[in-house]
Amino acid sequence: MILDAQGIEMSYGALKVLHGVSLQVSESETFAIIGPNGAGKSTLFKVLTGERMTSAGTVRYRGEDLTKLPAFRRARIGFGRTFQVARIFGEVDLMTNVVISIEARLRYSGQSPGAWWRWTPAADVRLEAEEILERFGFPRSRWSDDAQYLSHGDRKRLEFCIALATRPDILMLDEPMAGMSPSDRKEMTKLLMRLKAETGITIVMTEHDMDIIFEMADRLMVLSYGEVIAIGDPEKVRDDPTVRKVYLGQGYQHA
Amino acid sequence: MNRIASIALLLLFAAFLFAPYLVNPGLVFIAGFAMIEIVFALSWNLLFSYAGLVSFGHAAFFGIGAYVAAATLRYGYDIHFILVLLICAVLGAVGAFLVALIVLRRASGIQFSVLTLALSQLVVVLIGYSDYFGHDEGISAIPRPVMNFGLFTVDLNRPLANYYFVLFVCLVAVGLMWLLVKGHLGRAMQAVRIDSERAEFIGIDAWRIRVFAFTISGAFAAVAGALLAPWGQIVTPEYVNWLHSAQPIFATLLGGAGFFWGPVVGIVGLSALNYFTRTFTGLSEVLVGASLIAVVLVAPQGILGTLRQLAKRRKGPVKGGHA
Repeated sequence: MILDAQGIEMSYGALKVLHGVSLQVSESETFAIIGPNGAGKSTLFKVLTGERMTSAGTVRYRGEDLTKLPAFRRARIGFGRTFQVARIFGEVDLMTNVVISIEARLRYSGQSPGAWWRWTPAADVRLEAEEILERFGFPRSRWSDDAQYLSHGDRKRLEFCIALATRPDILMLDEPMAGMSPSDRKEMTKLLMRLKAETGITIVMTEHDMDIIFEMADRLMVLSYGEVIAIGDPEKVRDDPTVRKVYLGQGYQHA
Repeated sequence: MNRIASIALLLLFAAFLFAPYLVNPGLVFIAGFAMIEIVFALSWNLLFSYAGLVSFGHAAFFGIGAYVAAATLRYGYDIHFILVLLICAVLGAVGAFLVALIVLRRASGIQFSVLTLALSQLVVVLIGYSDYFGHDEGISAIPRPVMNFGLFTVDLNRPLANYYFVLFVCLVAVGLMWLLVKGHLGRAMQAVRIDSERAEFIGIDAWRIRVFAFTISGAFAAVAGALLAPWGQIVTPEYVNWLHSAQPIFATLLGGAGFFWGPVVGIVGLSALNYFTRTFTGLSEVLVGASLIAVVLVAPQGILGTLRQLAKRRKGPVKGGHA
């Protein structure tokens, strides 16, 4: 079990958003969280990644209790994360975006990103950044481009580069395909599937695109008004009458 | 950094390097002040352009250095002046670290800025009560030290040695700051400035990075202050006051925020303005104010930002720089 959350509760003031949500994710699994807007997906996500602390319940990572652990500590022990609206380091170039992330990994894993007075990234850091950028389809000619002028799809891809450069064991993806063009989505799905096959990384994702969910997810959880209404195989969940009623709609057919 | 800006900076460097042979002693004196202010402004810009923190009370750290160095020289403590500089750096760092510990826990935005201002004004008040630091009159008639380096001695009573000593220490300080911000710690600082939440999700502890940046910045500000004591031979609470805290801010805005070298250009510009208006009381303030308004309205990216923009106009969007 890589991630084990039990009885998570969260309220914003008087509004209770999560009512004792529990979930377990095993190693190398792709676990999807779906549900209508306002179901509490994003809040649950924030609790799992350490952006918000739960008012009740526990979060465990490989048996270690990290309920009270802040986000940066979770990142250091193996959490990677992307955001609904991609967050990258604008104002610096693509290369630097990835280098920052690799150097953070080295700095906080007991290795060294090089002496503080080295004014260029160490050769191996640079090489690794180049590999990551190339794998995510950024050709050499674009490495020194300023990241803030990237298109939406490119920002998403760069964010993946940043998240993966820390070599996470579990990747938390908050609507990874939101706002992408259909062709970008297809390509991103392919990239993620390949990444999974190569590294066996665990993925926890929320997503509105059901086709992608059914293509990628090993297991599925449906949230509605802060409660789990179904959890299990995608096929089983899809045919669940309650899920159809609150989210998928009666006529939903997976293509 | 584009070509025009690089050439301009090299020319500035050459001007400082040869100043004693080119201009009269009065101007050399101003050049020395300008170099000290450059180190001070760069220490502030290290915070602003890299770690994204705005300090309104940076003169307090400058003041720590200035007063400690002034007191050791004036009251005849027999300490090697290089050691005095190092002690001032450590004291500045410790002071900044304590402020950061208290203030950054709660805030890093405007509340942080205002609290730094309040704390620095507190230092001004404390100095006003202190016999040792000469109340409002400060410490004057500071003797210049003679430094023994074994193989040779440097006597700061000799004008050339005095000037080149200040130049040397400033170059070392500027070099260290440049290396720091261009290295991996500088990149981590930038990550925190640009998006601290994103930075946390790759494992960077934003708070720690900010505390670190503030500590280092305080150390360099104190070194700048320590240089002032033998150079100006008088240290007054003016140097600790909020108006002096504003100096690096003006210099950075004028020279170009988001650039390491921005404050250098800014300080030279401000010094020139002060020099040319020296005979008209009050005119320099008016001109400094007017030029800042002009910069904000016409060239919000400062002098370096505008140069870069002009150079890139053909090539499309402008890189870097944030005002």
